[in-house]
Amino acid sequence: MNPILTFIVILIGIYGLATSKNIIKSVFCVTIVETGIILLFLNLGNFEEGTIPILTYIGINIVDPIPQALMITTIVIGSTITSLALMLCIKIFHHYGSIEWKDVLNKRSQK
Amino acid sequence: MSYAPVLFVFIPIITAIIIYLFKKIRISLIIFASQAAMLIIFIFYVFHLKDNPNDALIVFGGWDIRFAITFYIDQLTLIFVGLTIFMWMVVLLYTYRINKRERNFIFFLLFLEGAFMGLLQTNDLFNLFVFLELITVLVTILIAYKKSGQSFRAGIYYLLINTLGAMFFLIGVIFLYYAYGTINIQIILANIAEHSDTNLVKLAYVFMVGGISIKAALFPVFTWLPRAHGVAQSTISALLSGLIVKAALYIFIRVNNQMFLAANYSMTEVFFWIGATTALVGVAFALSQKDIKQILAYHTISQIGIIMMGLTSFFATAQLGGLLHIVNHALFKSLLFLGAGIVVKTYNSKKVSDIRGVFQVMPWTAVLLIVGMLSISGAPMFNGFVSKSLIKYHDFDGNILKTIIFMLINLGTVTSFIKFSQILFGPKTVKVKDKNIRQHISMTIIALGCLLIGLFYLPIGQILNLDFSYAKLWDLFKFLEYFIYVGVGYLFYRFVIAKDFWINRKLREVSVTFENANYLFIVYMLVLSLFMFL
Repeated sequence: MNPILTFIVILIGIYGLATSKNIIKSVFCVTIVETGIILLFLNLGNFEEGTIPILTYIGINIVDPIPQALMITTIVIGSTITSLALMLCIKIFHHYGSIEWKDVLNKRSQK
Repeated sequence: MSYAPVLFVFIPIITAIIIYLFKKIRISLIIFASQAAMLIIFIFYVFHLKDNPNDALIVFGGWDIRFAITFYIDQLTLIFVGLTIFMWMVVLLYTYRINKRERNFIFFLLFLEGAFMGLLQTNDLFNLFVFLELITVLVTILIAYKKSGQSFRAGIYYLLINTLGAMFFLIGVIFLYYAYGTINIQIILANIAEHSDTNLVKLAYVFMVGGISIKAALFPVFTWLPRAHGVAQSTISALLSGLIVKAALYIFIRVNNQMFLAANYSMTEVFFWIGATTALVGVAFALSQKDIKQILAYHTISQIGIIMMGLTSFFATAQLGGLLHIVNHALFKSLLFLGAGIVVKTYNSKKVSDIRGVFQVMPWTAVLLIVGMLSISGAPMFNGFVSKSLIKYHDFDGNILKTIIFMLINLGTVTSFIKFSQILFGPKTVKVKDKNIRQHISMTIIALGCLLIGLFYLPIGQILNLDFSYAKLWDLFKFLEYFIYVGVGYLFYRFVIAKDFWINRKLREVSVTFENANYLFIVYMLVLSLFMFL
């Protein structure tokens, strides 16, 4: 996979953040940006015909293990952010009766 | 003793877990024991580090230094760590009476301290990102803690836009790893010149600095800050503008002033003007607000602009002034927020026009608020004066435009605090329900800190081995200058601001939606890359 493609994924996410009117869509656009970053880093650490970085394979062409270790952490952080944001979305829906940015930022709370 | 930095991270977190597990209220007194223990360990560690400079780098797990998780402690870290322990001590003292039954609140507050300590001491760019995200999550929970609709929407605004910034920081880290093969800050710092003229590293710099600009609330991307301050408890506001925003400035110092120093990207002038714009815009918005917490929130933005003007200077003295202003701003802004918290609670209103006669009702709170106001507006003998005169080093090397902008910012600050001080005067309107002794003790400690730095900055500088001697306190001209500022500011308030002209009302109604905040961020990044590559 070409690194350029991952940049396109990141750009799709940013485009979505700048245009989407819905809070849940914004949450998932952040997730898309993050997915793009994960793919980008895994790409940069990878090469053709590389094998998995496990101790028995040492001496053969193994790929760089650091990007994989770091990106697992990023995935965990991303899932934390997403779940917290979705929880906030539910609460916002309970208070405002809508999950559009326009309604939420201008309206007063119903409760 | 050499592993004391680990204790700074884990003592607060373990204390938080103990408080969460045991339901007795008396158990929560342990927070003070833990803070005292951290203070003692900190003092011993400072002396230990003086004798054994090799302990500054701590490598965990015995791995190769290029891959291992490392901590690195230098003087900058120590200043920030000391400030963090001090701030959390006073804030816990302030908040304990209100929140001692709220175990979850204290849990998150202490966990935040641990994460913040990790951010300050880590020597690993990826761990910096992890701690940044951890802080974002914890602060979101603390902002949304009131469980009202407004706090939830401020929380999600804060969470999403700060996550976007942190993601951009991560892209920069990835590029740096690709270019240098390590994410250890000290190794990159030593070898920065090898690849620093490649486009990849330039792009990495833009992404990293642009990403943390959101967290630092620089000019076009500060929109989350007033929203967050409007709904959070005053304790959280004090910590947020006193320290959490400074975390981004700390990363800015690490990245811009240390890591990429040898790369010579000539971006300092750009960031100076971004800082100046931030300061001006912050003051202009602050002048238009009517809510006392919003006034203070917009002043946080303008003070961050002033700090940026210092940090991006070419002179070591002005950079030192920026660093000192970070400490000073943490002190006086948290003092003002905590005082405003008491005022808001007593009067049950946030409007400047509704609150009158604080002097009659709560004299000591009023005195402490005056100390905060004098400090932030740069009165001689208070701490704001010292750092502002350091930042103004040789009138910005004789640059008239910069000097005029700095004077305008000062004038705006003085004017809006004359507006703020209207709450002090007037007849007694409400009765005091409680005495708030603990709150007053903690605020008095901060106010003493303000006075101490303002009066004895020279001996303090000698202890820390920093040279503050450019700031001249006993200069009659400086006192005269301040009185002129106050006089002109009062006239400006009386005849312009108090009339509430059209432009003032328009500024008050400005509210940036989430999509537009993202547009602004994209434009900001494009402008940065334009200056970088052209």
